Amino acid sequence: MVLTWRAVVLTALGIVPVLLSGDLGMVLVWTVAVAVVAGGDALLAASPRLLAIQRTVPRTVRLTERAQSVLVVTNESRRTVTGLVRDAWVPSAGALANRHRVSIPPGESRRLTTELVPTRRGDRRADRVTVRTLGPLGVAGRQASIPVPGVLRVLPEFAARKHLPSRLARLRELDGQAAVQIRGEGTEFDSLREYVIGDDVRSIDWRASARRTEMVVRTWRPERDRRVLIVVDTARTSAARIGDEPRLDASIEAALLLGALAAKAGDRVELIAFDRTLRARVAGAAGPRLLPALADAMAPLEPALLETDWPALVGLVRERLSQRALVVLLSTAEPAALETGLLPVVEQLSSVHQVVLASVADPDEAELAAQRETASEVFDAAAAARTELERIAATMVLSRRGVEVVSALPDDLAPRLADMYLSLKAAGRL
Amino acid sequence: MSPRDAAPDLAPPPVSPAPAPAEPRSAASSTTTTSVSAATTTVRGDGTTTASRFRARLRSWRWPAAALVATLLAGAVLVSLTTQTSTVRFAPDNPSDDGGMALAQVLGDRGVEVVHTTSVAEAIGASGPGSTLLVANDYGMAEDVARSLLETGAEVVLVAPGADLLAAATSQVTHAGTTSAGAATAQCTDPDAVAAAEITSYGSGFRLSEDSTSATLCFLQPTAAGPPVGHYAVAPLDGAADGQTVRALDDATALTNGSITETGNAALGLRMLGQTDRLVWLLPEQPPVGDEPPGLAGMLPPWAGAVGAQLLLLVLVTALWRGRRLGPLVTEDLPVVVQASEATRGRGRLYRRSRAYGHAGAALRARSADRMAQRLGVPRSAGADAVVDAVARASGRPAQQVGALLYGPPPSGDVELTRLATDLDQLESEVHRA
Repeated sequence: MVLTWRAVVLTALGIVPVLLSGDLGMVLVWTVAVAVVAGGDALLAASPRLLAIQRTVPRTVRLTERAQSVLVVTNESRRTVTGLVRDAWVPSAGALANRHRVSIPPGESRRLTTELVPTRRGDRRADRVTVRTLGPLGVAGRQASIPVPGVLRVLPEFAARKHLPSRLARLRELDGQAAVQIRGEGTEFDSLREYVIGDDVRSIDWRASARRTEMVVRTWRPERDRRVLIVVDTARTSAARIGDEPRLDASIEAALLLGALAAKAGDRVELIAFDRTLRARVAGAAGPRLLPALADAMAPLEPALLETDWPALVGLVRERLSQRALVVLLSTAEPAALETGLLPVVEQLSSVHQVVLASVADPDEAELAAQRETASEVFDAAAAARTELERIAATMVLSRRGVEVVSALPDDLAPRLADMYLSLKAAGRL
Repeated sequence: MSPRDAAPDLAPPPVSPAPAPAEPRSAASSTTTTSVSAATTTVRGDGTTTASRFRARLRSWRWPAAALVATLLAGAVLVSLTTQTSTVRFAPDNPSDDGGMALAQVLGDRGVEVVHTTSVAEAIGASGPGSTLLVANDYGMAEDVARSLLETGAEVVLVAPGADLLAAATSQVTHAGTTSAGAATAQCTDPDAVAAAEITSYGSGFRLSEDSTSATLCFLQPTAAGPPVGHYAVAPLDGAADGQTVRALDDATALTNGSITETGNAALGLRMLGQTDRLVWLLPEQPPVGDEPPGLAGMLPPWAGAVGAQLLLLVLVTALWRGRRLGPLVTEDLPVVVQASEATRGRGRLYRRSRAYGHAGAALRARSADRMAQRLGVPRSAGADAVVDAVARASGRPAQQVGALLYGPPPSGDVELTRLATDLDQLESEVHRA
């Protein structure tokens, strides 16, 4: 049972007879009267449990975009439903105007739309739908909270997509569309075509020309159909916050950009997210289905407070890949974690595959290293310098084992990784 | 460039959604339809009935309710077990020295029913033939009130009576108005007084009036001259049909808890009040003194209490209105928040606490040397001399000075460490400018 402001007004009106009689008995009489009116009104209200509530919610929405949760409320009772309906979501789903005033005659339906502006990536769940129905006098009513399940998957923002056009242009320069007739590393034979004036005479295929009447040149194009395996590390180090968001989010952005680029370049992209167990996997998706699959798989990822099981991860990668591939580890170049985790097992990967370690750097560390005001700040700077030296040492060990290391600030990681991919492709090292 | 390149689509390619099934629905059911682009769920009620909700509410409230009932029960038991006491002088429920509890309890133990009251009306209702009415400390009772009190047919005992009350009871005894305190012996024929033999009283005494015929005066004061003055008088009640008597004691002190055990006080008290099986113990309320300033309650209008109660009710209803939330709060699963630079700061704090100037200086020097070597193209495998030479050439400083800065003795204090850091910055900026 709920009371409304009318019940308060009704109680307040009681002051007049109480003042006139000046008797405590009148207070009692008025209390009983208010209770009877409110109780009767609540009894006459329609039951909120006699409503059929249908929730329709889009399966996915990109972060920063809007979605709509639609409730269709059907009155299956014999009384008119008058009151409020609240469509509750978790706070990060961003359901701001989620209270709807309704008046539904028996047998009719109403459509209630709640705007959702999600503020966090992941699966955002709907909570209960609370229905408050008021009696004919509007003094009191009944209320029930009914669980109506609904999940909205908020995909990563993919802000790095603004870097995609420039990288695609670079890719086309590498590609045959920009007249590559020079044979070199990273290219493979594409096709034969008729010689036109201006073509490099060195690319004439004499044997083919001999069989025809016209001159024929060979054209080359960058390697295609290489395999790219993106490994997203969701362990403890991915939980650390850099600026406003965890490392994992920067890793996801980088993975999306690389996936989009590699798919355009004709490579086969796979993704796994791993800490001690497999958290997500995308395999076998190609063309326009790849990017949605990547986003969908990575959307619900949350950092786990565990240490990465590198030997198991290496085993998993070796199991997945039979031929040479590009393995991109989206993790961190934190010296302590590297020394105990990746370094002992990286050779098993780098001996077969091209390995890239992409790490999100922390702008705070650079700030720490530069401060000189007080002695304690200098101590912090010394600590930052020591950490940096250890990182350089670890990176050198990795480079010696054939691992490329990309370390960049969160916003730069995605384009830097894309550049690394393009340069590896141009150099034919995939 | 195609427009698809500029805005890659994260949403899956559109697939026509499956039509929602139109099926008959039962109460508290739930159906879910999922298509690629949207999911639809239908829910009817929450699967509860009035009875199940009532049971659930009973289950969740059972312990608080049990605790409340237990508290109330314990309170009731405590209240019933503790006897009410007062601090009113000579009251039968006052256990202190000036109370009358000892006398009342002994009387009760002997089978006398003691009725304590402060209201004259109640006393009149409770007393009648065959009972004893004790009026003590009447503070000058009005004459008409006294008369109606004395017409009940009960035996009357007056302790420290006012002049009007005494006059209404009997015309044969009056106040003497002398002040002589101390022990007095019976010196009369009244059996109660003879049994008591001696009492201690601090009252002003009684005197027999001139037309006294059948009154007895006991415990006489040893006065030198004039008519005798006694502390205790027995006389027939004026206007009594059944021959009731009036017993008057001039002061209550002899019968209080503190003095009852002295001399014959107890004997007099028990005999005087224990004549019948029922004793009405009236201590008239002290009438309010006229000029006392009225308290806050006195200044409020008479309807204030009722309006206050109504306002209280209004506050309660407002609280119920505002307090009821539209559905429960929804909680968010928040991720952990650890700043990535936390580990580095912790290491800095460790350096500082252990005053590791040597370690800190070495770290700063190594990082500086590494950066400058990289800038100058000195390989990492090169020795210290090669780095010093290259830096000295680039900055134009003497090699000895550069060597001392980069590979000199470790700093030994805050000042030296800070100076080392700024000197290294200076050197680096010179090298980078070169």
